[in-house]
Amino acid sequence: MDVLGPILFAFLTLMIVGGGLGVVLAGRITTSALLMAFTFLNMAGMFVLLGSETIAAFQVLIYVGAITVLILYGVMFTPQTPRAYGLFFQKQTPWGALVAALAALPVIVVAFSFHDAASLPAPGGDLNALATAVFTSFAFPFEVASVLLLSAMVGAIVLVKREPASRPPAAPPDPERPV
Amino acid sequence: MPVGPFGLDPLVWAIIRLIVAVVLVVALILNSSLLLIYLERKTQAIMQDRIGPYHTGPFGLLQTFADALKLIAKEDVRAGQTDVAFFIAAPALVFTPMLASYVVLPFAPPLVGADINIGLLYLATLGSMGVLGIVIAGWASNNKYSLVGGLRSAGQLISYEVPGILSLVTAVLVVGSLSMVKITESQTGPITNIFIIPLAFATYLVSALAETNRTPFDLPEAESELVAGYLTEYSGMRWGTMLALTEYGNVVVVCSIMTTLWLGGWNGPGVAAVPILGVVWFTLKVYALILVFMWVRATLPRLRIDQLMSFCWKILIPVTLLNLAVTAVLLIAFPTTLLPVAIANWILLVAFVVLLPVLQQRRLRHLRARLRERTATASLAS
Repeated sequence: MDVLGPILFAFLTLMIVGGGLGVVLAGRITTSALLMAFTFLNMAGMFVLLGSETIAAFQVLIYVGAITVLILYGVMFTPQTPRAYGLFFQKQTPWGALVAALAALPVIVVAFSFHDAASLPAPGGDLNALATAVFTSFAFPFEVASVLLLSAMVGAIVLVKREPASRPPAAPPDPERPV
Repeated sequence: MPVGPFGLDPLVWAIIRLIVAVVLVVALILNSSLLLIYLERKTQAIMQDRIGPYHTGPFGLLQTFADALKLIAKEDVRAGQTDVAFFIAAPALVFTPMLASYVVLPFAPPLVGADINIGLLYLATLGSMGVLGIVIAGWASNNKYSLVGGLRSAGQLISYEVPGILSLVTAVLVVGSLSMVKITESQTGPITNIFIIPLAFATYLVSALAETNRTPFDLPEAESELVAGYLTEYSGMRWGTMLALTEYGNVVVVCSIMTTLWLGGWNGPGVAAVPILGVVWFTLKVYALILVFMWVRATLPRLRIDQLMSFCWKILIPVTLLNLAVTAVLLIAFPTTLLPVAIANWILLVAFVVLLPVLQQRRLRHLRARLRERTATASLAS
């Protein structure tokens, strides 16, 4: 594994960065979506390399299996127009570059002040550790996240729910009803 | 320098092992698909009082081999307006996750590709990846029927994944492990999990039928509505890969999951003495389940898309959630015995089977009353 590890890491890094660039630069949105799935898969490979197979499996299950499919679903219901060339070089490019650089700065600082790699978890998987953490120390954040998702889902359903067909389309406002 | 088997370098051995394993699995999938198609045609024929294939070879056994040769020899036809790269990539995107599933299937004690401790999660993950290829196939074909078939398939597969995974989780709670080998080893006795959690088995069977696109859930390829769904524009070996290999390969995978989780996997008489005998028991159990799938196909008509979705979201998911909650509570309340779980599961199963038609009849009566009311007012208005 000592020989293979760095090679795999380099390969996965190249694939992730290449895939990410492809997502942004690809001319067609379907290509972008598929490249996004590809990037997620490579990130799952990175998690496996770090010894956390469970996270890798969830990465694939949620991001490749569900989110990319839903994005494709959305793409297929929108009209396909070829993106105008030159959209990449617009007026806001310098500002965008500045914001991206500012966001990248802390990451770079942390990355280069980092010398001793944390030891990898013991072989045998991270399933028990992960489950214990989620259901004991992090039970409250976990529940908060699920409530957040639930409210987002209810909101989405309310937003797209059609008015009942029996009601006239443009009813005059009812003066009796408090606003 | 560490030395692996046969005096080879471990790195070289790993690569050789990978190649041998992939070749073996591809051969297994090819042969089992051919035999399963033959079996499917024969069982359908017997159930419909026909003879089925009988010209080619003894009992028509070589019919599907001849069909496969024809598919391979066919010209690679592609419609002009399709999206070339995606059209070619889609069969591979459907086939590869199915191929990778075979890594963790426990055929026999000495015959397991990899005993990873999240084996079941790995299988669920790969099952969800196949959807991507189907959606891409539907979109790249640039055909309305294909697109609708692909979208239907995505909706169906994502919906039925939820009850499927919830049923798997119920079984995992009872066993206490996600590793396929440990799950098999926990059921050495005659009391396998199907006697302890029959409801989870029933719900998983239904969602497995839906996830493998088999009747009564084969809506993505409903020929009376959608030509052949996302397969419309495909022909030759691309069609063969997507339909024959992937569908039957997936059927084998889900039946193996059911065998491992509920029927005790490779366990059977004589396995303790001769471990390789496990392959026979495993195969027998898997084929018994596949015959159930074929029996269902010959018996039940196809559902409508709205019935399919409402059955999943309004009936199957609440039932599996209830089952999961009851099982979890009972397992915590009685950590030493599985008897309460078994009793609760059998009661829930009976309630599920009895109450479902009652509820359905009430709903139908309500719908008919509403329809009658509407026609009455319409005739009054005219």
